[in-house]
Amino acid sequence: MRFPSTIYLITRTHGRRIHLLTSEDMRVMAKSKSLSEVVDQLLRSDYAGEVSKLPTGEVDSVRLEKIFLGTLVERFFTLMRDSKGNARDFIEAYAARLEVENLKRILRAKHVQEKIEDRNLIPLGREHTLINFQALTKAENVDEAVSLLRETVYASVSDRLDDYRRVGSPIVLESFLDSLYFARVWERMGGLVDNEGIKWLVGEEADLRNLQLVFTYKMREVPPRLVEEIVIPTFYRLRRGILRSLAQGRLEDTPEILAGTSYDDVAEEIVRSREPAIDLETILSKRLYKDASFALRNLFLELGYVVAYLLLCEREAGNLITLTTALDLKVPEEDFQRRLLL
Amino acid sequence: MSAAGRAAVTRGVLLRLREQLEFTRKGQELLKMKRDHLAAETNKLLPKIAERERLDRKIMGAYESLKVAYLNLGYSGLYSQASTVDKMNVRIRPRSIMGVIVPEVLVEKEANVDSISSPSAHQAGLELKNLMKELIELAEAESRIENIAYELMMTNRKVNALERVLIPGLLELIRYVEGRLEEESLEEFFRTKRVKQVIRGVQ
Repeated sequence: MRFPSTIYLITRTHGRRIHLLTSEDMRVMAKSKSLSEVVDQLLRSDYAGEVSKLPTGEVDSVRLEKIFLGTLVERFFTLMRDSKGNARDFIEAYAARLEVENLKRILRAKHVQEKIEDRNLIPLGREHTLINFQALTKAENVDEAVSLLRETVYASVSDRLDDYRRVGSPIVLESFLDSLYFARVWERMGGLVDNEGIKWLVGEEADLRNLQLVFTYKMREVPPRLVEEIVIPTFYRLRRGILRSLAQGRLEDTPEILAGTSYDDVAEEIVRSREPAIDLETILSKRLYKDASFALRNLFLELGYVVAYLLLCEREAGNLITLTTALDLKVPEEDFQRRLLL
Repeated sequence: MSAAGRAAVTRGVLLRLREQLEFTRKGQELLKMKRDHLAAETNKLLPKIAERERLDRKIMGAYESLKVAYLNLGYSGLYSQASTVDKMNVRIRPRSIMGVIVPEVLVEKEANVDSISSPSAHQAGLELKNLMKELIELAEAESRIENIAYELMMTNRKVNALERVLIPGLLELIRYVEGRLEEESLEEFFRTKRVKQVIRGVQ
């Protein structure tokens, strides 16, 4: 039996869904000749408030990206404000993906002792996070940055510092942050009444993230042992054994290894691709957002609907970033159309 | 301007002119050697310059990969991925080829793109990294050719000046001094003969 607060949350999400740009809107915008045409169309959407503040001469993809990410953050946290109890705990854990992304960006910069400015982070306000990003951006190196995470849920990142030094790459810490994130989301999911839809979406995302890790490092010919070390230990349909076989086997054999896991078609597409390294992210993201679209059509009375909506908010931000960047770089329409996650 | 009136006609002057001619000829030989060496060096560099077109195509390919990474990650995402790259170190030191100072670029440390976690950004980074070494070699070759070509032109001018102006001038001067000295010695011989005849006639 659902709580009234859950029903309220789902109902509000149904209302908010109407505000998402449709695939048709994206296609129309993709045909635009310039950024100002895109801006004109965005003035009829949720982005109108921020976009209208941009002076005409200062419209570029970097400024627009900031607005898209800001709106994404706002959508995540508006939904959180609408929720209560276990659902709120879960959405809070789910929305932590934004702060995890920021943490990754900071650790990448600190890996080479570089400064990182606020404009290169997702614009998370102080009210949305317990992490002191201001202090983190000022850290001298990875050790100092990790020490600043001591009192947070990411305190255990310090346990992986030895591995980070051994491998000499922040990828170890990045994948550990993902592990912490998925473990927390998975744990909070346990407190929800109807979590099947959420389990499916979160589980598939973890699986796809693992597939990306395995494929990426396989293509770079990284030793399978190291690949096994950095996979995210949240396994849904892809068990550790399958991931081990993937890491050890040949790239061409992956569809066979993944047979019966529902990811064989993804593997097939990656293997068939002319430039798998370039297309990998697009193929995996398309699969995730396809599932989210399916969930949005079929799980309309479950909490899974909320997760699907958040995923589609992410897709929208990603598509708008792709579109405006493509227009700024003067990429031909047919080239960037296939990068859009429609 | 004729050689006449340009030099005092003495045996000392003739000796000095001959020494000067010999010195100029040696100089000319050396300059010719330098010219040949510089030309050979240029020939050696030409195949590298011919690589430019292939390199242009590779740059366009890498740029396409970079564009895809840009589209996938956006500005801030790609910037973040790029910040993990351990940058390359190069040292430029001067090198002398037959007195011509040309730059020599030494790659002390190659860029390391292994820390990039995004596959598309890594691919773009890898292509750019591989390209960078070839680009440095091309820039080095182009810069060398530029310096050598200038020096080659100057050397050629010097050789031509020696061959067509200075040496013919010296030869003309030597011929003139030799002629004058011969005339003077004939005059002296005739004068002595006449003196002897006069003395004999008086006796």
